[in-house]
Amino acid sequence: MNRLRRLLTMTLAAAAIGLGSPAFAESKGTIYYMVPTLLDEFQTESVSAIEKFLKGVGYDVVTLNADNKTDLQQSQMNDTILLKPAAIVLAAVDFNALQPSIEKARAAGIPVMQFDRQIKATPSDFTSVAGTVEIGYVAAGEIQRLLKEKNGEVKGKVLQVLGDPADPYTLDIQAGFEEKMKEFPGVQIISLPAMQWEASNAGTIVSDQIVANPDIDLIFLHAAHLSVAAVAALEAKGKKPGDVMMISSNGAPVGLDLIRKGWLNVEVEQPLYAQAAAIAMFADKVVNKQEIKPGTYNVLGLDSTLTIEPWGPNLKIPGAAITKENVDEPRFWGNLKAPTDPVTPVQ
Amino acid sequence: MTSPRQRATAEFVLDHLVWFMLAAVLIVFSLFVPNFFQIGIFANIIEQSTFVGVMAIGLAIVIIAGHMDLSVESTAALAAMLTGILFCARGIGLGITFTPEWLVLPISLLLALAVGGLIGLINGFFTIKLKMNAFIVTLASYIWVRGLVVAISGGRSAQDLAPSIRVIGIQTFLHVPLIAWIAIACFAIFSFIMSRTPFGRHITLVGGNPVAAFRAGIKVDRLMFISFILAGAIAGLAGWLLAIRTSGATANLGTGMLFNAFAAVVIGGVSLKGGVGRLPGVYAGVLLLSSIHTAINLMGLPAHYTQVILGLLVLAAVLLDTLKLQIRQRFA
Repeated sequence: MNRLRRLLTMTLAAAAIGLGSPAFAESKGTIYYMVPTLLDEFQTESVSAIEKFLKGVGYDVVTLNADNKTDLQQSQMNDTILLKPAAIVLAAVDFNALQPSIEKARAAGIPVMQFDRQIKATPSDFTSVAGTVEIGYVAAGEIQRLLKEKNGEVKGKVLQVLGDPADPYTLDIQAGFEEKMKEFPGVQIISLPAMQWEASNAGTIVSDQIVANPDIDLIFLHAAHLSVAAVAALEAKGKKPGDVMMISSNGAPVGLDLIRKGWLNVEVEQPLYAQAAAIAMFADKVVNKQEIKPGTYNVLGLDSTLTIEPWGPNLKIPGAAITKENVDEPRFWGNLKAPTDPVTPVQ
Repeated sequence: MTSPRQRATAEFVLDHLVWFMLAAVLIVFSLFVPNFFQIGIFANIIEQSTFVGVMAIGLAIVIIAGHMDLSVESTAALAAMLTGILFCARGIGLGITFTPEWLVLPISLLLALAVGGLIGLINGFFTIKLKMNAFIVTLASYIWVRGLVVAISGGRSAQDLAPSIRVIGIQTFLHVPLIAWIAIACFAIFSFIMSRTPFGRHITLVGGNPVAAFRAGIKVDRLMFISFILAGAIAGLAGWLLAIRTSGATANLGTGMLFNAFAAVVIGGVSLKGGVGRLPGVYAGVLLLSSIHTAINLMGLPAHYTQVILGLLVLAAVLLDTLKLQIRQRFA
């Protein structure tokens, strides 16, 4: 009898603690996160980060994976609009094709926030990006530095391994990179796409090119997971860390490991945690349709600039170049140490 | 009126058409594509043929047996991911080791084969025992197995495969990596099995006419079941090799290989109606595709051209198959 009473008391105490915790606090509503795919680590971690930060400011989060299919994401948008959520966070599979869905959602009174992938063709309620073109700029700057260190001036041969050529994300990085490299005619750029962002396709490109062009100075890969296969291909050709300079982008854990092992010189980071935290910081403003003011905002320690663009409030968070010197800093999402401090909503 | 000698020559050319196509393509590329004609590039072509090639062996066996297996790509991905998770040291890898260290090689291989065989067993069960359509059953497997890869990896990747396994991807013999020799050995073994053993001949008979084969006393269901298990296990081997090549696994590893494997099988002369096809032809088909991929890489052409050429080649192969039949009738 005593045991039963003790069990009952413990259960009631647990329930009381549970009811008092924020999990049982009244939700501000449900926000849907439309993730483009779960086949890459950036997107996978973005789900955890967005869910964590948005829950921290009082929203329930439902994530829908579009599996890299534009039509599926359009259907998901249509379905979600019928559910009348507090807001939609969209990381678009296709920047242009989702335009009508965004317009439909906003016409139904549902605010739409863009995450990571900037859509300029139609207004959104908030955009949080590192800027894919800017990633290309940062990579170009680092490549110029590395080529100068090696060859005395900015000249040499660069192999650029893109992702899937149908993905605007990789095309934007390419555009940014090539724009900044134009002023250096001594740099020869060979650009080839790894179809479907598949790692072994990148390995094949590297393995062919290193035989056909043994004087390649540097390989620039548009995603860290592609560099793993590229390194394996170089290893198979008898190369050692440092024999060919390498840069990749997005800052995934695999890229950081390759920096530590000496294969990668630089990883251009997309500030995933800050991008996700910004969504939570501005969620109340967006959901309540309050004015968002331009200016500089501190997002997880990064000074980020908010401007009012024709497509709406646009927060640009600076991407960083990760090197051997700073690779272990916890601010890089590739170290998978998500900030534990709660995000404070912008007042 | 044709002489027996002319007929024999025509038969030989028709039977080995894909090899002649391969030779022609290699000569043209060597002459016109800068940097193509060198041992390193030929070694690359053979190495790059490994994964689609191995996958195509299992696929070809099932197709020759009169069925279809769309799950081989996802099965390979699952085997690669399991190998990655268990034996990689970084990312989501658990870094499992054994003493002595080399034991990791046979154990990881057996595991990959077993996982692949299990998927094949499931496909076989639904197709043969429950008489469900193989296309639908294996399409479902194609989807759920890839889903399983994403689920067990959480979308993350494993990297830094144990050095005792990686050695196969790094060491070469006669300029060709060991993984490619494994693929060549697989083609040799299964070509022998398919053409010189009762098992292979019965598979071909069953694929050509299952009713006649049944009446001749051949255990049709058993053979078809085995062909599915074999296709799965061989796909598992392809995944194991893929993990070795990329020193780990990502959730999208192997994406798109199914269609390349299908193209190679068709170009290699395997009839999708079943009962017709030889594995050496399939290997020639894989080498042909790999040569085209490499040439496009070297020419710096947009990769879309590969898909266009691939599509046209498949169409040409089917057209040639039809023409071959007509030419044979003319010589008969």
